[in-house]
Parts: sequence; C-alpha cells; structure tokens
Amino acid sequence: MDLCVLIIDDDIQRIKEGALIWELEDKFGSDNIAFESDPNEAINYIEENLHKNIIILLDIQFPDKVMNGHEILSKIREISELIPVILWSAVSEDKETFSDFINNNAFGFLSKSATSEEMLLMIDRAISYFKTSLDNTIEDWIIQKDGDKDKPVYFTSEGKSYSLNQILNEIRTQTDVGKSFAKKLNELTIDLLLRNKETLND
Amino acid sequence: MSKSTQINYLNFNFDVSAYRLLGRELITDRITALFEIVKNSYDANANKVEVDFIDVNPRTKKSKIIIKDDGLGMELDDLKNKWMVIGTSSKRRERTSPEPYGRKVVGKKGIGRFAVDLLGAKLTLKTKKKGDKKWIFLETDWSQYSDLEAKQLTLPFEEEKEFFTDIKNEYWFEDGDESEHGTILEIESINDTWTEYDINRAFKELSRLVSPNTKFTKYPFNIKIKSEFKGFEDVMVKPLSIIEFATIAIELKYDKERGIQEIVIFENGKLVKKDVQPRVFGLVDFYLYYFNQVDKRKFKDKFNIDIDGIKIYRDGIITTPFAETESDQNKQKDILGIDKRRYSGFFEKINSRDLLGFLELTDENNPNVIEATNRQDFIDNQEWKEIKLFIIEQIQQIEKLQKYEKENVRQVTRSDLGKANQELKNIKLTIANVRKEASPEVKKQLQFIEADLGKLQGTVNKSIRDYAKLEEESKQKESLFFSLVSLQTYAAMFSHMTKHTIGHVLRDAEYFKKYFPNEKLNDRFKLISNRIYSEFLTLRTGVDFMLKYAQSDNEIEDINLHDLINNLFSNIYVNEFQKQGIETQLELSDKLILNYNKKAIEDIFDNLISNSIKALKGINNKKIKCSGVIEQDKLILYFSDNGTGIPEEDKYRIFDIFFTKTAEEGGAGIGLYMVKTRIEAMQGNIEVIDNEFKPSGATFRITLPFKK
Repeated sequence: MDLCVLIIDDDIQRIKEGALIWELEDKFGSDNIAFESDPNEAINYIEENLHKNIIILLDIQFPDKVMNGHEILSKIREISELIPVILWSAVSEDKETFSDFINNNAFGFLSKSATSEEMLLMIDRAISYFKTSLDNTIEDWIIQKDGDKDKPVYFTSEGKSYSLNQILNEIRTQTDVGKSFAKKLNELTIDLLLRNKETLND
Repeated sequence: MSKSTQINYLNFNFDVSAYRLLGRELITDRITALFEIVKNSYDANANKVEVDFIDVNPRTKKSKIIIKDDGLGMELDDLKNKWMVIGTSSKRRERTSPEPYGRKVVGKKGIGRFAVDLLGAKLTLKTKKKGDKKWIFLETDWSQYSDLEAKQLTLPFEEEKEFFTDIKNEYWFEDGDESEHGTILEIESINDTWTEYDINRAFKELSRLVSPNTKFTKYPFNIKIKSEFKGFEDVMVKPLSIIEFATIAIELKYDKERGIQEIVIFENGKLVKKDVQPRVFGLVDFYLYYFNQVDKRKFKDKFNIDIDGIKIYRDGIITTPFAETESDQNKQKDILGIDKRRYSGFFEKINSRDLLGFLELTDENNPNVIEATNRQDFIDNQEWKEIKLFIIEQIQQIEKLQKYEKENVRQVTRSDLGKANQELKNIKLTIANVRKEASPEVKKQLQFIEADLGKLQGTVNKSIRDYAKLEEESKQKESLFFSLVSLQTYAAMFSHMTKHTIGHVLRDAEYFKKYFPNEKLNDRFKLISNRIYSEFLTLRTGVDFMLKYAQSDNEIEDINLHDLINNLFSNIYVNEFQKQGIETQLELSDKLILNYNKKAIEDIFDNLISNSIKALKGINNKKIKCSGVIEQDKLILYFSDNGTGIPEEDKYRIFDIFFTKTAEEGGAGIGLYMVKTRIEAMQGNIEVIDNEFKPSGATFRITLPFKK
C-alpha cells in the first residue's frame, strides 16, 4: 500500500525540522512525507497523487485571506471523499465552527500542542481506515494475483470495458464510473449472498 | 380538484436524524427557520411569498402556518431527487436561480426543509410547476422521525430496528390549472404558540431580507404576513423607516449619466456631501445611519431589533454573507472589519452596534464584487478591498465629526466657566463701588451679598479646577482602557503562539525521552536542545512583555522629550553604540514638553533604538537619527537609521504582533507592535516612510497630538 502523509501548514519551516517529522519519516520513509505551505499548491499535489493513499494534516489558520482550513477541506472534498484529513490547529476548540468540518467529513481534530504519540495514534487510525477500503482491497488483489490485473471487470452501456487495474484508478480518482462500480459491486455481493450463490465466512 | 385515488410513498434518502441535528445547529430558533424558508422562495424565483399564521394563539389542533409562494414549484422528479435527497457535493450548488431572474441564491441548500420541522411536526407540501396538470401533495410527519430517534436511543440493538429511510411519506396528485405554479407549505401540529410579539419579530427579521432602499428591480420580491393580530392582519413586509431615529443619517447616491459618486466628508465642523469619480468597484448607493445611546434606545423600543452594522445588498436583496440571521451579536462576523479597527485605534472609533448601513450593489454596476463560494465572505479582490475601505472611510467622517463635537463641548464648558468667573468679579467690583456711597444699612446688606458672592466665586473656581481634573482623569481612564484592550488582544495572540511553542517543545522533549541515548541520533538531539533553548527564549520575551504591560502604571507627567531621548542616546545606550560604532544625531527643540506617561514614551524609543541596532549589523558608518518638527497641533518625529531597511512587502505588516525577521537574534516580533499600540494610545500614529538615509535604511514617522 503506497502511503503518503501531506502536511499543509503555513509555518512549515518550524515543523519540518521537528520531532514529529522525524517520527513520521522513520515510520513511512522521508520520500513519503510532503509539505505544502501554499493551499493552492497543496490542492495541486493532491490532484497529482490521487493514485496514492494520502493522509493529510491540515492547519486551520492561514495568513490573511488565502484559503483557510475550512475552504481547503471543502476543496479537497470536491476532489475526493476518500482522503482522511486530520485538522491540526492552535485555534481553541470552542472558538471553531465545526459543522462544515462534519459535513465535509473530516477524519479527526488535534491541537497544535499534541504530542507525536497522539498524532501517530490518529494516523494509525487513518491507516486502518485505508486497509478496509475497496480500492486497497483491489490493489492487494492485483499485487497477489498479477494475472488478474488486465482482466475486464466492468462494462458500461456505451460498450466500454474496464480492467481491474483501470477500475482501481477510476475509484481512486472518484470518477462517476468508479463510484458507480463501487455501488454495483456492493449490490452484487449482497445479491449473491442472499441467493445463496456465495457464502462469506471469516 | 379531486384527490386521485392512487396513494404512493416516498422515503427520505438519507439519515434524517443526523441531518436534523445538523439543521438544529444551523437553525436555532423559529424566526431563523422562517427566514430560511422564505429565502428558499426567493431562490425559486417567487415574486410573492405569503406567510399565514392561523389560530396560533393559543396553540390548538387548528393551529397552522401556511407559507405560499408563486415560485417555480417542483415536479415529482424534483421531489424524489432533490427534496428527499441531500446533496453532498458543494459543486452541485447553483450560484444563481434559473433565468430570466438569475437571482444570487441566498438560501442554504437543504436546510429549509428541516426549518419546517422546527415550526411544526406535520407538513403538507403542495407544489406544481407551470404547465403541469396536477398539483403534487406530500405529507411528512416529523414526529415519526423523532419517535424513532427516541426509540433508537432507548432500545438495545436488535434486529427489528427500523431505519429512518423506512419511514413512508405519503404523496398524491390533485388536479390543477396548467398556468398555476409555486410551492405551498402547510405546517400543522405547530410546536409553539405565536404571540403578537413573535409575529412582530418575524416581521422585523424578514424585513431585513429586502433592502429598504430598493429602487426599481425587474423582478421584485414581496413578503406578506397574515395573522389574527391587529396591525398584522394582512401586511406587506416593509423595510423599517430608520431615518427618523438615526442621530446622523447619511444617504449617498450616484449619478450614472455623469459617472459621479457621492461621498461624505468632514469639513469645517460639518459633514458635507461631495461628488467624486467612481472607485474601482463601481458606482454604489450607500445609506449609513449612526445612533447615539439615546437614539439607540428609542430605536430598540420602537422596533425591538438590534442595531447591528452594515450589510451589503445586491439588486435589493441581502448578499449571502449577511443572509444568515445570527441572533447572538457576539457571533456575528465582522466581514467588513469595522470592529477590528478597535484594536488598532482608539476609543473614538464607532463600532457596528452604533451603525446601521445598507450598501447597494447591482449586478450591472458592480460585477466584480463577488460572493465567495463558501458563502461566508466576498472574494478578496481589489474591488472588495476598495469597498471595505470606502465604507470605513465614510464611517471615519462620522468619527471626525464626533471628535470635533466632543472637543467643542469641552471648550464651551471651559470657556463658560471662565466667563462665569469673570462676571462674578465684575459684579463684586460694581458692588464695591456702590458700597462706598451707600447708606450704613445698605452697606450691611451689601456685605452679606459680598460674602455670598465670595462663596459663589469659590465654588466656580473649584468647578474650574474639578473640570480640569476630570478631563485629566478621563484621559488617564481612556489610556487605561486602551491598555486593557491591547492586553486582551495580546493575551489571545500570546496563548495562540504559546500553543505552537508548547507543541514544538513537547514533541522535541518526547522524542528525547523516547530515544536518548542513541549515538546515531546525536545530531538530532543537538538540534532539539538548540531548539528548546530558542523556543523558550521567545516564550520568555513574550511573558516579560505581558508582565510589563500588566504592571505599567498610567501616571501622566510633563516630559521633556529632548532630554528623554538624549538620556537614551548618551547614557543608556552609550556603551552599546560605542561598541558597534553607531553615531547618533538628535535634532529636536529642548523646550518640547509632552504631557504623558513617561514609561510608555521611553518604551517606544527604547524599542525603536534596539530595532535599529539589529538592522545596522554589518553596515559601515552606522547612523541613528531622531528629529522633530511641530506642524499646527501635531508633533511630527522622524526616526531613521541607515541599516538594512525594510523590504517593500513587509512595510504593511511590520507592526503586526509576532511578525519578526530577527528570530535568530531573539526577536519575538513584539517590539514594533508595542510601539504602535503605545503611540495609538496617545492618539498618534506611526508609519514607515521613504528612508531618509540612502542607499539603504529605514525611517519611521511618528505623529503625536500636541498642544503648545
């Protein structure tokens, strides 16, 4: 599973050299830790790296009038619903408005004064969320059974067919094809189980 | 109309419970709920919406609220795919209503229908699009959802648990005329009684949706209220007539043909209107009303609503950042930055609670002032910046007038007292003259009168002294207030900064504790110790400053400015200057006396000097110069060095708290912030101007009020 932690914060310099980053680098490899202080650059980064599993640490306050955390999160959600975004802020919790964070499906909230351990726990939760996701299940399948990679698994009414690998990409980039495949796959599974065509055991 | 025999059902396509909770968070009271529903009608291109309260006091089985509009209406597909479904992607949100109206959408998508739930438990929705042959009726019983919610909370997990999506909402069709269209919400089992007072409040709130200054709009939007109460039997919601209540009313218009914008300026003790060229954002009408304490009370008594600042309307309808009613004034956003100025200025500043204002944009004149997609603000382009500036500039004119009037009153009082004193003297003189020639009896009487006059004169003299003292005290009080407000701002920023610092230090210490000793990580440990050291230095500066602020007294005394600065230059800093090879120059009259807090003034120059020393590192022929001139009632000081200078992009933020470029030398970004707040407390200001020394350097210009 390709994993990447992206930190979006305007005070990147101080964070970059800190203990938290060492912990993350030692755990995930320094190539897999990315920093962006400019929200627009961050959005670009996310768009270009949708094939990876990105976990985002997002600051809320940014200098005057560039996007703030609220807007960045909603921009991220326009791109994908699959990315866990952990909000990380020094704003006092009772001063924050949370409803749009909830609406935009934020993964968690941590204070800027949190310890590395608290942060790593939250990141571990994000990783286990990834492990059960459909796209990662497909990816694991492909890694184990390389021969299945190019087999067509999805056919549209327009006569297009998608291989398992292509479908993986469609799901990760949250296209209509990807979303509708995911939905139909679930329906198919339930149908098979109910008609006793298949059984599921642990 | 005949009800068709066919009964069908629709289910909500999402967890109604969770969504209702969210709705509750956004819509806190029923007036807001009503506001949201009416906004939906506006977004559906309605020309007219009618809110009918039937038998609402007391609440009975017959109580009903009907909200009826002549908007676009819905067809079955809309009901199924929009009304019953929650859109998750914000992309789906349309920014304007269908043509030809093209209204800027004001409602929060998806919230309106849950607003209904706040008004009453049972809803019959009746809707039809133009051209359709039948009205659609949909019945929703919110109480079923609440019951289920309660059940889910009490029962343990079990198989038969019903889901919210299982609850059926009955719908049917009835015949209608093809030309009819619109949406009618009939709400029964209403939750609360509506008193006359409530209806009045609803009326007042709804009146804010439409600007009181709407001129001709192509597609007007009218709201009507019907109820059993006197005065509200059948009324159009009309905007309030504010002008009669305002202490100062300023109404600025534009002349499109001549391309001229009216503004107001303070001139010779009066506010006068001037014609000027339009600004970059285009021509606008601006209605600004200021209320003093007395008028504010009268206004509140009459209308029972708060005075809550300036709002922006577009084509007669409130723009989205202002369209959310927030009854708690403390939670209202200061989009225009009117109240923020309080921190950077002085107490003569007017705040939103003294002002009502309507800035009228039109799509035609102001196409580039654009609401941000998050609906909370405007897009921060040049036009928007200029609009904010424009509004603040106009408010400043009122502030100038107030300041002038206040000073005027003071002077009149002072001179009246002086006059009274003089007149008493004259009377005494006259009596003394009369006494010489008077009979012994009259003399005796006159003696009594003279004695009384003496007492009276004593009282007047005491009043004069008391008044002077009072002025002095109020000056001190203002200064104390100011330092309290700055301290509050500082405390907020300081705790924010502290949280960051604690985070960094804590994680560093945690890392150290977890991994030490380890040969391979020695570089990191070294870095950690350096960083903890420097983070704590910053923290210490912050704490020291806070203490200094908290302890600073407010004693005011006469200060010889020349001597004060000279003392810093030739005594306190002399060693440092010699060591660094810095030459100083002081060009200031040694007769200048300022009446102010000495510590505060020392702090200002202390900070400027230590700043200059930092900027002079590595420069040849180091110079620091302070000079001053008096211009009318102002003392203007120039403080210059020939150091590295201030980059253009930093000039505007150099006074911001925690802005620093000298972190390595222990700079915490507090010095210049303090300089600025101190100077503003003296009702002066400081700015960075073109550097006096060339090729590089920095020059600050400090302006202080000054009486000869």
